[in-house]
Amino acid sequence: MKANELSPVRKSILPQSGDRWENIAQRELPGTAEGDAVAMLQSWNLHVFMRSAGGVGRLRSDNPILPSDVIFVEPPRA
Amino acid sequence: MYDLVIRNGRVVDGSGMPAFNADIAVQDGRIAKIGRVAEAGRREIDATAKVVAPGFIDPHTHFDAQLLWDGYAKPALSHGVTTVVAGNCSLSLAPLKAEHRMKLVGMFNQIEEMPLKAFKEGVVWDWESFPEYLARIQKGLAINVGQLVGHSVLRLWVMGEAAMERTANQQEIADMQKLLRECLDAGAIGLSTSYVDMDETLKPVPSRYADADEVDALASVLSEYGRILQIVPEFYDPDLTIARLDQLAELSIKYAIPTTFSPLFVSADNVGAVERVMARVDEQFARGARVWPQVQTRPIDISFSFAVPSLLFIRLPGWYNVMRFGTQDEIIEAFSNPESRAKLVAEASSQMALWSFLRLRHVASEANQQYVGKTLAEIGEMRGVSPLDAMIDLSVEERLDAHFIAENMGHNLDDKVGGLLKHPRVHIGASDGGAHILSFSTYGDTGYLFGHFVRNQGLLTLEESVKKITSDTAAIWGIPDRGLLQKGLVADIVVFDADAIDRGVEVYVQDVPGDGSRYIRDAHGVDTVIVGGGVAWSATEGYTSDARGAILPPAIDPALERIAA
Repeated sequence: MKANELSPVRKSILPQSGDRWENIAQRELPGTAEGDAVAMLQSWNLHVFMRSAGGVGRLRSDNPILPSDVIFVEPPRA
Repeated sequence: MYDLVIRNGRVVDGSGMPAFNADIAVQDGRIAKIGRVAEAGRREIDATAKVVAPGFIDPHTHFDAQLLWDGYAKPALSHGVTTVVAGNCSLSLAPLKAEHRMKLVGMFNQIEEMPLKAFKEGVVWDWESFPEYLARIQKGLAINVGQLVGHSVLRLWVMGEAAMERTANQQEIADMQKLLRECLDAGAIGLSTSYVDMDETLKPVPSRYADADEVDALASVLSEYGRILQIVPEFYDPDLTIARLDQLAELSIKYAIPTTFSPLFVSADNVGAVERVMARVDEQFARGARVWPQVQTRPIDISFSFAVPSLLFIRLPGWYNVMRFGTQDEIIEAFSNPESRAKLVAEASSQMALWSFLRLRHVASEANQQYVGKTLAEIGEMRGVSPLDAMIDLSVEERLDAHFIAENMGHNLDDKVGGLLKHPRVHIGASDGGAHILSFSTYGDTGYLFGHFVRNQGLLTLEESVKKITSDTAAIWGIPDRGLLQKGLVADIVVFDADAIDRGVEVYVQDVPGDGSRYIRDAHGVDTVIVGGGVAWSATEGYTSDARGAILPPAIDPALERIAA
């Protein structure tokens, strides 16, 4: 089996240096208004977004994205 | 005359082939003969009606600290485990500069629930480098140890406090590569990293600040040695787990290295998710990747008292913060003060079903003994309060020395778990031996495999189960000369009764340095455990002084390796 023969799975990216929600929104969802795209990304990535909202695991309040995070750029597949 | 002869055993040699009757002779620590042995042995073991198998290998433990005061990794060795892999989940105790010791102790305390006092009173900090640590634990070592290098400690060594703040620059990555090579030269079995864990301040551990380039660079070093990468993915979410195993697969193929992720649990509400993950594992193996999921045998039981933080409360921030950061008096005050108690009750009320089925397992006072063994629902009814209030009241009355257990929290669907354990691309492991010592016993998973899944459920054969926890594990991890009963291999051997082997009941013991306690399980049906040709434990003698544990793989001579290359 080759890589391009793998079954499709939920699309994700790894952050680039300095990535914030806005950067990722512009790069991965270029056809969507930035505010809407950021909201969508946050809703698809609660494992990252909730860090800044909750007490547990809280870190840099202005950017919860870690360099090692998986960021989904589409909703869960049915 | 041989050093040791095991006679009349039913040999299950670890290959998966059918059992056969034979004697085994041991000389100079290695298996000298398998067949009919006419010569006598200086020591002879009668294995009539018993199974003779290779020593079991436990690939996912956190014995790093315990090995400093207990070279037997008790009671793991008595269960037939002759080799443990420590240093999982990005945490090892070396390489570690003196100024980072307490930071790492904090992480072990938070992530692996190991008591601070045990580190303070059980550890003499006389090492910094990886070879120094190995030399330290090798004194009196009775069990074999494969020692992973923790990614978080590599970062701490190279980057200091910045390891917990940012990505590494090119020079720092190069320094980490150099340090990893030094560890691998000294005998490290691989590298571990984590994508989920938090430190004692509830911030992500250093490995989570690494970007993909850093992990790639470290994997390239593993490739030079053919060594394994172990990760903890976001195991609570199948999409995240699949994304991580895809990452691993790319590294495995690019660098021709084995990789493993742990844990993979199955529960009633995620059967489909596990099937999705396994379908992806199968595809990635078909591509030529090695991405071994680790599956534990035992169901999830979690014990706790409010005297120490419990990960059972990690999704209840108010409760967890009280447990994590409060003193005994502060926790009792939080439970007693009407205002703070009301907040805690409100936060926990969404999980009322959980509190109802928790069972009280231990209290100190005579007055509350009547409740031991009952569920909180039953106790609440007796007292005329809610189950949650019963838990809080008992904890206050006992000054936090009230212990509760949540049984069968998951991973308890026998046919599904058995199917996973049998799967050719599943790696049996994830015991967490030596960690979470006040949450559950991490000992006896091998006994449970044989007692529950082989003998009671009939879901695996004896031969395939032995293979899974011996030769398969040795092959996946590149552990030399072990995992099979073959002439010339090291004599790590366990003799057990296939009709009796099992784990005992979970018991609370006080044998941790610093007056600490833990939950353990004794071994049932294990007769003799042999490490490096010497009897390390037997049912009649207990632990012996014949300590022949080794570091696996042995240190290599880098000069020779480079000449050979």
